[in-house]
Amino acid sequence: MDRRLDRDRPAIGTRRLTLALAALPVAFLGYLFVYPVGRVLWLALAGEPGTAFTRVLADPRMRGSAWFTLWQAGLSTALTLLAAFPLTWAVARYRFWGRRLVRALVTVPFVLPTVVVGTAFVALGLDGSLAAILAAHVFYNMAVVVRTVGGLWSRLDPDLVDSARALGASPWRAFRTVTLPLLRPAIAAASSIVFLFTFTSFGVVLILGNLRWRTIEVEIYHQAITFLRLPAAGALAVLQMVGVTAILVLYSRYQERRAVRMRLVAEHQTLRRPTGVRLKVAVAAAVLGTTAAVMIPLGGLVVASFANGGAGWRFLTQPGPLATRPVEAIGNSLAFAAVATLMAVAVGTLSALVVSRGSGLVSRWFDVVLMLPLGTSAVTIGFGFLVALDRPVDLRATWILVPLAHALVAVPFVVRAAAPILRSVRPEVREAATMLGASPRRVFAEIDLPIVARAVAVGAGFAAAISLGEFGATSFIVRPNTITIPTLIFRLLSRPGSVSFAAAMAMAVLLAALTAALIMAVDRVRAGEVGSF
Amino acid sequence: MLQTTGLVKRFDGIEALAGVDLTVGDGEVVAVLGPSGSGKSTLLRVVAGLERPDAGRVLWNGEDVTDVPPHLRRFGLMFQSYALFPHLTVAGNVAFGLRMMGLSPDEVARRTEEALRWVDLDGFGDRPVEGLSGGEQQRVALARTLAPEPRLVMLDEPLGALDRNLRERLVVDTRRLLRERGATALYVTHDHAEADAVADRVAIMRDGRICQTGALEEIRREPADDWVADFVGAP
Repeated sequence: MDRRLDRDRPAIGTRRLTLALAALPVAFLGYLFVYPVGRVLWLALAGEPGTAFTRVLADPRMRGSAWFTLWQAGLSTALTLLAAFPLTWAVARYRFWGRRLVRALVTVPFVLPTVVVGTAFVALGLDGSLAAILAAHVFYNMAVVVRTVGGLWSRLDPDLVDSARALGASPWRAFRTVTLPLLRPAIAAASSIVFLFTFTSFGVVLILGNLRWRTIEVEIYHQAITFLRLPAAGALAVLQMVGVTAILVLYSRYQERRAVRMRLVAEHQTLRRPTGVRLKVAVAAAVLGTTAAVMIPLGGLVVASFANGGAGWRFLTQPGPLATRPVEAIGNSLAFAAVATLMAVAVGTLSALVVSRGSGLVSRWFDVVLMLPLGTSAVTIGFGFLVALDRPVDLRATWILVPLAHALVAVPFVVRAAAPILRSVRPEVREAATMLGASPRRVFAEIDLPIVARAVAVGAGFAAAISLGEFGATSFIVRPNTITIPTLIFRLLSRPGSVSFAAAMAMAVLLAALTAALIMAVDRVRAGEVGSF
Repeated sequence: MLQTTGLVKRFDGIEALAGVDLTVGDGEVVAVLGPSGSGKSTLLRVVAGLERPDAGRVLWNGEDVTDVPPHLRRFGLMFQSYALFPHLTVAGNVAFGLRMMGLSPDEVARRTEEALRWVDLDGFGDRPVEGLSGGEQQRVALARTLAPEPRLVMLDEPLGALDRNLRERLVVDTRRLLRERGATALYVTHDHAEADAVADRVAIMRDGRICQTGALEEIRREPADDWVADFVGAP
């Protein structure tokens, strides 16, 4: 213990190194995030002060979109909580065959690109309806509730409920008066996340809303791309940012106020085998019901991709209803994913090194700045790229714009994945190697290098998956020669005709398979790792 | 035989070690006992070579090793936090020091298995270290430190992170292991009972100085001053 505090404080040289490492990430975020978002703000605020906002707020169409954004997010969140409850209860309380499998299964929709989720509900023939949008939101977000709430529930001390029961409470009463209040922080956390995701929902609503249902995100897209009313789009983007910030602030206030300290126990001490016929039936119903809810849209997508005698799959290699051939989109997506991954891993790993190098002021501020792109919608980022990146050179005419946007969206995820791994290389771990006879060079080769390599591999997997599925930012900056799989799917879906439909389905299945393969690979590398999300 | 003469170490002008003279004979286990902040860990780090002393020498069998880099001293150090390598398995951790010695793979495997048997972890070799319990991690760290048979074994609060029950059990095992291997050892702790159970001799440390050495029983009977009397709980 003795002098440890002193040793943890970075020396002057270390601080200089930290600043040097931070240079590239700071330049990257400055040019690709701060500057474009600043230009969006400028768009909304330039001219007569407040005009853009007044116009937006006076326009019944845009007011309608804003109102819809709010209530559909609230409704989607409530429905997600309800729909996820049975499975959350079953996996948090009981040990049964296939428990881990069903938990993994319910996570699958969450890692799929939103375009694939939207397309899956088109496959079920539900597009254009409010029900489809809500169902897709529930489908996509159930995992958040099962993981967050179930995670806490399975670790609550069972003695608490047992005490309530011994004091004469019925099972329902014990749940209502003991379990539910203790779960409130997790329920609040899950609700905030789901609300935030659905509040900023873009791909799903653009695909399933058929122009009738529009979130603010979709409205920004229409104003900017369809009507070319950039100041209005800018004002909407600002409103959106204000909304997101408000949600995050409210949430963190609530968390601070509600922080109840409680004793948690290991999961294996709380799980019980379901006993009695009624309980077994209830657990089975929860598991099978959720499984069906996940499998039906995915199964529908696969079936639809074979509609029309497999025309969708044949179309992948042939010129079809659109100018761009699907193979080109696939090629673009893979190439962009490779480039975006390289950039995101370089910037993200450097950032993670800075963040994990200690508790200095630089690291802490840097951590906050890094997460800003996460709180900003992809649509705003795409819109910012569109209006800002004509200086100093016009990047908008080049293909590099797309991977740059993807890298920017991916960087926070790379940092979140890599930082905990890098943090596990504490100075003591290096010293332990030294004491076992490793020279400084061998310490680097045997300790630092393998651990950093693992962090890089995990970050790369996430970055590639994000790039392949990115739709919000890409839809603003894509050009015919840079079309990607998700943007091609969207174009195919907007066209009439059964070949276009089948082709969109086939592309969506392909994209889902690619993403799933990447996430599974990441999971293998990460096995045993204590990640932070 | 380890000998330190007049070791001084300052951090920002504050003396963490203020002239430490200490001898550990061959095959002897000496416990350094003192309150937190007394400089115990710094002493180990200076002997290990991880910190350079501002004054004083570290001698091994009369030879001055103060300027020998830590990885060439053949001293072993077990950290309070265990500092297990997170990317290696249990066996990978234990084998590390043996590999650094340049032994053949067969020899490394054989001695790794042997070291795991010492701490009753045979069959744990392929597990990742991350899923292990606190007690299991402690035993992996101990096996890793002992496997290369270092000339001097140093243990920094090796049981400090464990709960009381486990500590009482493992202190017996640790003592037996050090004895069986005939290890020359320096054992840092703030727990009297632990020091008494493990060590042949106890060195009481306060404010960067050794104030008294001897068997704990003797120190209790004849404490050097009031502070020592109070600290060891003399009658």
